[in-house]
Amino acid sequence: MNAPDRYERFVVPEGTKKVSYERDTKIINAASFTIEREDHTVGNILRMQLHRDPNVLFAGYKLPHPLQYKIIVRIHTTSQSSPMQAYNQAINDLDKELDHLKNAFETEMAKHSREY
Amino acid sequence: MDGGMSYQRFPKVKIREVKDDIMKFELRETDASLANALRRVMIAEVPTIAIDLVEIEVNSSVLNDEFIAHRLGLIPLTSERAMSMRFSRDCDACDGDGQCEFCSVEFHLRAKCLTDQTLDVTSKDLYSSDHTVVPVDFSDPNEPGEQRGIIIVKLRRGQELRLRAIARKGIGKDHAKWSPAATVTFMYEPMIRINEDLMESMSLEDKRSWIESSPTKVFEMDPITQQLKWHLKLEVQVVGSRLTGEEGREDASYWLSLFRDVPMLPVKVVAEPESYTYDDEVIKKAEAMGKSGLVEIEAKEDSFIFTVESTGAIKATQLVLNAIEVLKQKLDAVRLSDDTVEADDQFGELGAHMRGG
Repeated sequence: MNAPDRYERFVVPEGTKKVSYERDTKIINAASFTIEREDHTVGNILRMQLHRDPNVLFAGYKLPHPLQYKIIVRIHTTSQSSPMQAYNQAINDLDKELDHLKNAFETEMAKHSREY
Repeated sequence: MDGGMSYQRFPKVKIREVKDDIMKFELRETDASLANALRRVMIAEVPTIAIDLVEIEVNSSVLNDEFIAHRLGLIPLTSERAMSMRFSRDCDACDGDGQCEFCSVEFHLRAKCLTDQTLDVTSKDLYSSDHTVVPVDFSDPNEPGEQRGIIIVKLRRGQELRLRAIARKGIGKDHAKWSPAATVTFMYEPMIRINEDLMESMSLEDKRSWIESSPTKVFEMDPITQQLKWHLKLEVQVVGSRLTGEEGREDASYWLSLFRDVPMLPVKVVAEPESYTYDDEVIKKAEAMGKSGLVEIEAKEDSFIFTVESTGAIKATQLVLNAIEVLKQKLDAVRLSDDTVEADDQFGELGAHMRGG
């Protein structure tokens, strides 16, 4: 009856930004990124990748409500970095990791088809 | 802005087994978040093609129209093309009514039962407008001629079904009918360490009962020992049967005692570490036997064993590759847009200005 449409879960509404950034008003080098129409898939890999960065003092994400299709990623860094820099770095590193994974998988597949 | 250090990882992959619709592989040197992201994407976000709109012309079968439409949606269709196809909601060439070749495929079904024999209407009766998008063929190549279509409905004499269906690209998040995955699971690789000294201090019976305490077959006797055991059994049977009555020694323990000095190697080796379900039964059993510390089992945090089973819509290997691609696209979509960065730079200057900098 009043259920939201299924596509609401993954289609960003027109006029809405996919990612919005909000600085913390009290703490320097801290900010929240609101990512629309994403869930644990992206939230958790971003968080774990941010934890690998020694300049990141805090990184966490939350899914505020199961029917609000967005996640909030909060990052606090040292003065050597900035939340935006850490966020970009995490995405770049994950992207490169996936490129590597893809190549590794394809190499294995080629090896496997030759063996059998 | 950029120029920071890279904290990238370089995961390793080892394929164990590949068939068209099932595969097993090991993923190492990465963490559970990535393994889980891959699993989640394979189940819910790798696109396939499935029937989405059904226009029924005639339906005098026992199943109602919606029931049949639902069953049609669940039939897996070959979806190699899905990655390059358009979602009908972003298709410019049409208004999403399924009339265009970029985002939809049309199917027709006509069946009428004219005999007293019940007629099975199956996925093989669906005629596609595109030969690359057809219902998945489950027939066994070793048994040609065997009908392996998916039954949609059964018709008795006089009943008829005639319809037009439109298949579209979609993802499992929208509706499970678009999910290319039957199952995708991963487990942590177990690391099993046995305390050999404690093990040596146990009797054969104790070792056997400890092995038996595991609900899945994780441990077994050393193959060398098993051979010895087998010979022993044979010996006892042959010799025992000859000696029965003479000496009345039928009990195995007597015959076993004769072999007490034979250098056996009844050391347990791990038979199938991966069948361990992290149930802790063997650890509890060891404690109950007063042998705590006999075995230590831990899950390796950076090694995963994946099992991927596809519905047949795409090959299992392709499913993994598509998942990597989809995850990359998702990450690309969450990059900060230039205007956000610009707005913050201005804000930063303003902030610096306000702070008196």
